[in-house]
Parts: sequence; C-alpha cells; structure tokens
Amino acid sequence: MRKNWWKILCVILLSWTFIAGLMVPMRPGVTSVTPYSAKVGDTIWLKADGYNTNWGGATKGKAWLHIDEFFKVEKAGKKMDSLNVFAIQSIDFKAINDQEVEFKFVIPQHLPLATKLENASLLVSVEGAEQALRPEAIAITQDSINAYRGKTFWNSKLDIHRQWHFEYPYRNILQETLRNTFFHVPMWFVMFTLFTIAIYHGIQYLRFRRRESDIKAVSFTQGGVLFGFLGLFTGGLWANYAWGQPFPLDIKIIMTYTALAIYLAYFILRGAFDDVEKKARISAVYSIFAFATLIPLLYVVPKLAPDSLHPGNGSNIAFGSQDLDNTMRLVFYPASLGWILLGVWIVTLVYRYKIIEEKLEMKMNG
Amino acid sequence: MNLFSEIAFLLKKETTLELRQKYALSGILLYVTSTVFVIYLSFIKVEPTVWNTLFWIISLFASINAVVKSFFQENSARQLFYYQLVNPIAVIISKIIYNICLLLVINILTFIMMSIMVGNPIHNLSQYFLAIVLGSLGFSITFTFISAIAAKANNSATMMAILSFPVVLPILVTLIKLSKSAIRMTDTTWAKDVLMLGAIDLILIALCLLLFPFLWRD
Repeated sequence: MRKNWWKILCVILLSWTFIAGLMVPMRPGVTSVTPYSAKVGDTIWLKADGYNTNWGGATKGKAWLHIDEFFKVEKAGKKMDSLNVFAIQSIDFKAINDQEVEFKFVIPQHLPLATKLENASLLVSVEGAEQALRPEAIAITQDSINAYRGKTFWNSKLDIHRQWHFEYPYRNILQETLRNTFFHVPMWFVMFTLFTIAIYHGIQYLRFRRRESDIKAVSFTQGGVLFGFLGLFTGGLWANYAWGQPFPLDIKIIMTYTALAIYLAYFILRGAFDDVEKKARISAVYSIFAFATLIPLLYVVPKLAPDSLHPGNGSNIAFGSQDLDNTMRLVFYPASLGWILLGVWIVTLVYRYKIIEEKLEMKMNG
Repeated sequence: MNLFSEIAFLLKKETTLELRQKYALSGILLYVTSTVFVIYLSFIKVEPTVWNTLFWIISLFASINAVVKSFFQENSARQLFYYQLVNPIAVIISKIIYNICLLLVINILTFIMMSIMVGNPIHNLSQYFLAIVLGSLGFSITFTFISAIAAKANNSATMMAILSFPVVLPILVTLIKLSKSAIRMTDTTWAKDVLMLGAIDLILIALCLLLFPFLWRD
C-alpha cells in the first residue's frame, strides 16, 4: 500500500479529470449575432443567440458594443500592453426566449478610432443571468473619420460584474470541445515523459549492460508510441470539429508523424537481430541518436514555422495566457499528472509481463 | 599515429578506393543526370516551388545512395581489422568528412544540371549555396551514422531507408524553408534557420562521436 500510493493518486486524479472535465458546465456565451454589419448612424435591433443561457422572461437587460484600442505604454522602463475601451450602451431590450434576446442600439455618427471599419464586441448583461461576451460581433463602417468626436460618443462605461463560478469559459468555435484540453494535451506530455524515460534507460543500458535496462527501454518506448497514437486520435477528433479537417497540414502534426515513424523504425530495427545483446545495444544507440533529432523537431521547428494552427505558434495564444482560465487550471494540471502516472503504470505492467515471459521461456528451454 | 594523421590516412584510403572502383561515383552521377533529364522531359519549365522540392528530393535520394555503401562495401572482418589498427573514432570521422565532400560534389552538380536543363529560379545564390553546404553536412553525418547502424542489421539497404528517413526529416524541413526563402517564396528571416541547421549538425556530430564506440564492437 505504501509502495503503491501513486497508483491511488493516479486513480483519484483521473476520476477527478473525468468527472470535473465532463460534468462542469460551460459559462453562458453568445454563439452568433445578427446583423453582423452596420453603418454609423444606424439604429439597429441586434439579435444575440445564446448558449447555456437563461434569458427567457427577463424584464431588464443591458448590452454594450465596445471597441478596444490596443497600444503600448512605457512603465518603469518596460514596454507594457495596454488598452482603451470605448463603448455604447443599448437603449432597449427584448427577451424572446431562453436562447434569444434583442437589443436596440443607436450607433453614433463617428467611430472612436481613425479607421473606416472597426469590429465591435458585444457584452450582454441580462438580469438574473450571467454576462456573456461575443468578441468582434459586428463590423461597423464609416465614411468620414473623426476619432476625436467619436470618442465623445463612445463614452459609456462597461459594467462588468463576473462572479467566479466553477464553470469553463465559453469560446467560440470550440464550445464544448474545450473539454478535450484535459485529454488531448496531456497525451503529449505522457508521450514525451515516456520517451525521455526510455532514453534514460537506453543510456543506462549502454553504460552498465544490464538486461533489465533494455526491457525497461522497450516498454517505455511502446508506452510512448501508444500515447502518441492516442494523442493523434484525440487531436484528429478535435481538429475535425474546430478546424474542419482531422489532419490538416500543420507543422506539429507532421512532426508527430515523424516522431512516431522514428519509433516504428526502432521496432523494425529490433526485429532485425536475433542476438539479444546486439539487439539491445544497437537499438539503444539508434534511439538516442533519433531522440536528439526529436527535440528540435517538437519544440524548435514549430516555433520557427509561423503558420501553425496549434496554440503557442505565430499569432496564436499559448497556454497560460488566455487558453486556460483558473477553472480549467484546476482540472488541467491534475489531469496532466494523472495521465502521466497512468502512462508509467501501464509501462510497469508491460515491463513485468516481459520479465515473466522471459523467465518462462528460460524455464521451457531448460 | 595521432588522430589527425589517422584521419588523413583513412581519407586517402577512401579516395583511392573510390578512384579504383569508379562505378560507385559514376553510378550516382548517372542517376542524377537521368533524373534531371526525366524532369526536363516531363516538365520543360518548372515553377520555383516545384524546382526547390525536386532539387531536394533528387539530392536526398542521391545522397542516400552515395552514403549507403560507406559501411557496406567492406566486410565486417576487414572493418574489425581497421578498428584494431586505428582509433575507431578516426574511422567514422574520416568517413563523415569523405561523405561531406562527396555529397557537396553531387549536390552542386545536381544544382548546375538543374539550372542548365530546367532553368534557375534562385534569387539569392549565396544563400542557396549555404543551404546546399549545410544540407550536405547534415545528410552526410546522419546517413553515415545510420549506415553504420544498418550495416549491423543484415538486410541493410532497406533498413537504411527505414531508419534514416524519419531522422533526416527535421533537417530536410528546415532546409526547404531556408532554400524557399532564397527563391523568395517566403519572406522570413533566414538567420534562424541557418542557426537551427548548424545546431542540429553539431548535436548530431557530437552524438556520432559519443555513440560510435558502442556501435562498432561486436
């Protein structure tokens, strides 16, 4: 019991992952807004379609259209990102049902920025319901530019009140597939952990020539390949939904195919030898050599290629900033640890099976 | 003999062997010529991106064919004799240096033939040559070491292809990026790619020297 505490921890963490990852609701959000374009000076009824919302029967409600201006400021010698928010408030409100609500806006004569076209975000605040945001909901066009007067029109203050609930953030396009974060992303962590441990055992074999090190190296590599395929599979499911294609031409996907090809070649190489010692030694040498090319492959090359679809590349946002909010962290970190422990657990079983198999074979052969 | 004179001696031996059995080098050159000629026959005029891709494909296969024999042409007993006679590290270094020269010759010849037969879309010639040099370096290090591994497994030529393609892919991806920017197909800064290739080459050569002592002993 004392020796196997980590297996219990693994079960607890993964139970938490499955229960919290699949049961915790999404925060309300706005799936679409009509119309999606307007001119300055228009008076429009803006219809918002909600997801997970309970707007039906509400009598009071407000909404803001806001335009954000990003700029850099120097603060204590450091360049910092900052933003100005210019907003207008709705003048009328109508709740149709739980998922549909309409707001009346009078769009002023000028935009607050010196552009012909600006995307405004919609913040919906209905009484008795949580606030919901639709980034870049509507495109507003203008013919004559007057940012100074525009700023005097767009002067409403956003009334953001957000209590912390145990809910996941609503993201457009992703929606409920956001939960795949707890399953797809940790697969790569597991794969890399297992491959790294396999390489460690490969090096140990070359140093001390112990038979167990070789069996451990093979078991960890097999586990890594298994989780690699699981990562591809979960990623394919997700990409089919979010990007419209299960395996788009993305540098990370190409690199993963390569990584798996290296390790499949490793197994083929092992199959070519009859001599146990030679098999172990040469496959260890190959795996170390191949692993060295894997490191730039999975971390450096994707960063050099600016047009990856995955987060953390080019203009996409990486983990830690906006992709994970605090609620998701509460599930994501335990999930990562839990999956890694599960990977190691599977590998220890494979290792023990191989040891027993070998002993039996020796007994059979006398 | 110290390491350097050993390497020089082995290089001389490699060159003599090559010159004595000319069919190896001339075979590769014939391969390159006929491939380029087939490209000329089927395309007549080639788009810059396709040109780049075709060049690296020809280069990749010509390199594999050129390097694959480095540990196969002499039988294992004679190789053991070499390892007794000189430092094994000198053997692999001499083979790598020899292959670098060989691949440089092959790649530059391919480049010239492609330029003559199907046109030359390169804007930045020196950058493209840098890519060729770095590519020859990376290919020769990887393929020489993999051929040493594959020589230990008996059905070697197939094994060579299976083992080396995934390993050489990161080098190839970076190379194509670097050479694409030389044709001005992409507008990225290329100093990073050069650095990247140099770093990969350095890591690979360090690993070669580190791992070869475990490899040669039977």
